[in-house]
Amino acid sequence: MSVSTPTSMSSPVSFFSSATLIRILGKLQYPVMGITGLLVLWWIGGLLIKNNEHLSAFSAFAPVPAFQALYSMVASGEVWAPIASSLSRILVGLMWGIAIGVPVGITIGYIDVALKIANVPFQFLRMISPLAWMPIAVMAFETWDSAIIFLLVMATVWPIIFSTAHGVRRIDPNWFKVARNLGASGTQMLRRIILPAIMTDVMAGIRMAVGVAWVVLVPAEYLGVTSGLGYAINDARDTLSYDYLAAVVLVIGIIGYGLDSVCNVLIKRFNWHVE
Amino acid sequence: MKNRNGDDSPISKSDAEYLQKHEMGRRDFLLDSLALGGLAAGFGLAASSSAWANVQPPADEVVRIGYLPITDATVLLVAHEMGFFKEQGLKSEPPTLIRGWSPLVEGFAAGKFNLVHLLKPIPIWMRYNNGFPIKIMSWAHLNGSGLVVGKDVGAEKFADLGGKQIAVPYWYSMHNIVLQMGLRHAGLTPVIKGQSEELAANEVNLQIMPPPDMPPALAARKIDGYIVAEPFNAAGEMLAGAKMLRFTGDIWRNHPCCVVCMNELQVNANPEWTQKVMNAIVKAQIYAQKNKREVAAMMSRDGKRYLPMKADVVEKAMTDYSDERYAKPDAIQHPEWGSGRIDFQPWPFPSATKLIVNELKRTLVGGDVSFLKDLDADFVAADLVDYRFVKAAMEAYPGWQDAPGFDADNPFAREEVIKL
Repeated sequence: MSVSTPTSMSSPVSFFSSATLIRILGKLQYPVMGITGLLVLWWIGGLLIKNNEHLSAFSAFAPVPAFQALYSMVASGEVWAPIASSLSRILVGLMWGIAIGVPVGITIGYIDVALKIANVPFQFLRMISPLAWMPIAVMAFETWDSAIIFLLVMATVWPIIFSTAHGVRRIDPNWFKVARNLGASGTQMLRRIILPAIMTDVMAGIRMAVGVAWVVLVPAEYLGVTSGLGYAINDARDTLSYDYLAAVVLVIGIIGYGLDSVCNVLIKRFNWHVE
Repeated sequence: MKNRNGDDSPISKSDAEYLQKHEMGRRDFLLDSLALGGLAAGFGLAASSSAWANVQPPADEVVRIGYLPITDATVLLVAHEMGFFKEQGLKSEPPTLIRGWSPLVEGFAAGKFNLVHLLKPIPIWMRYNNGFPIKIMSWAHLNGSGLVVGKDVGAEKFADLGGKQIAVPYWYSMHNIVLQMGLRHAGLTPVIKGQSEELAANEVNLQIMPPPDMPPALAARKIDGYIVAEPFNAAGEMLAGAKMLRFTGDIWRNHPCCVVCMNELQVNANPEWTQKVMNAIVKAQIYAQKNKREVAAMMSRDGKRYLPMKADVVEKAMTDYSDERYAKPDAIQHPEWGSGRIDFQPWPFPSATKLIVNELKRTLVGGDVSFLKDLDADFVAADLVDYRFVKAAMEAYPGWQDAPGFDADNPFAREEVIKL
């Protein structure tokens, strides 16, 4: 009996896992091709640097040293502190972006006059590089952390505002008419019609904002903080340790991809459009 | 980062605007907008001290240091780490690392820091172009920079730099001033042109570049050389095979580079506190000059992690000044001066301030320099620098005489020596 148990257990397990495996592999086929292509390009770039006699001192950019650096960062545990501080900055920045962007987006999407008034200034502000806000951030905020979060908010709020407004304007006006005829109050209109209808667009805006936030994070962490992934990149540049630079880029890429996937799942979850 | 001003003539207003708009890095945003009066206009502030006075330093008495991760910050870091502030009965926050001159100036202007180190020419335009009440309290160090060239450039002296591309860290820097002195002396003309534009045989094209980008740019032969503070010369030598053409301290004997600055309002409001801060700074100068190797290790990644570089790089950058090793090109032509790769002493010699003001007028920089025209060197030396506190501290704490270049009979005056 003690012998038969593992046998009887193992066959359904292996059957189950091989089917799942095929399914997963089928799903992974294209991403794997993409990743492989990227790695090959990266590897070729590394070779080009290495074989150029002038640049050979900078060959640490190549995949092998980068993955070694990544491994040593993970193994020593030094990778977690910067992830935690950068991620918390990004999330706080994103939360403020949502807290400001969604109401403003709904307002300018719903009220025509508001859009007419706000359009020009918003388009103008949207084009300003968040980094140009740096001096103002430094002067206006007490702590360096809040200055950085302000820069992130200035980057994330615009895609959320415009995407939200777009979503509101896309709502079929007949819905409002029906709701009004049924005696819906303003709050009910917001909760039962507008919010459910625009969730997909809000999530799409947030998804874009996440991307911009990572782009802004690295230069924003030039400011007086002592941890974070942007800070780590700046450190690597100051010390010319390009293997660590590439490793941190990998970390940012992986986390960014993770956040993007979460947004994607949420978009699907809230998607009410019939496809 | 392209520049297109074709000749050596003073930059016209429209050119200055063009440069400002298109050709300077975003990182220089505030500094250049300050230099052009743009910030004042943008904020609706008049360029006067009353406007800046709105940004009052907090009344607390904690020493708050902002610094860049370069060896120029040494004395501030030593004063904190070795407890010299504490010795004076002062509290000091751990120094805050900032990555660029612009945010450092912004943090200082906003009152986040009350003690910073800045490139010597920066306070000149902060005070006289923008009316910010800044005072130079002492020098931060002597020497500590060099001009390196790519290994294939084959340049052995300034005269070989005709038709080459050279990067400087900042238009308003001692590096830019010394470089252009050397070029002019060799009969060359510094210009600011686009990289694709044709250079005459006697022209040298200058551009601004962040120091960390210099070694890779040199390796990729985007530039032929650069002049910058340590440890980026040491890094270029080690990584890009760069050759040290000349140490700046071998051109201008014991020149200043960074200076220690404070807000004049705070200095006047609290002279006792200021005196204690300067006592600590002077003690730190003496300590750093005596213990360069130990201080280098302390500041490095392997020590207290004030600088991101490893101990061996910082040590090379602070101590490696061997005449034999730097014989070809002959980077040290005056070993008899007895200078080091970097040296530490606090006294802000007025003669050097005057020389900088006068040379700055003749130095090609991007941006509007009209405020310089009417600036009198003697006035600046008396008005910009506060000698009282550093002198009292030096009298109270001797030991600084061991730094190179002091005349034992008349230590507070010197003649500037420049040997191109």
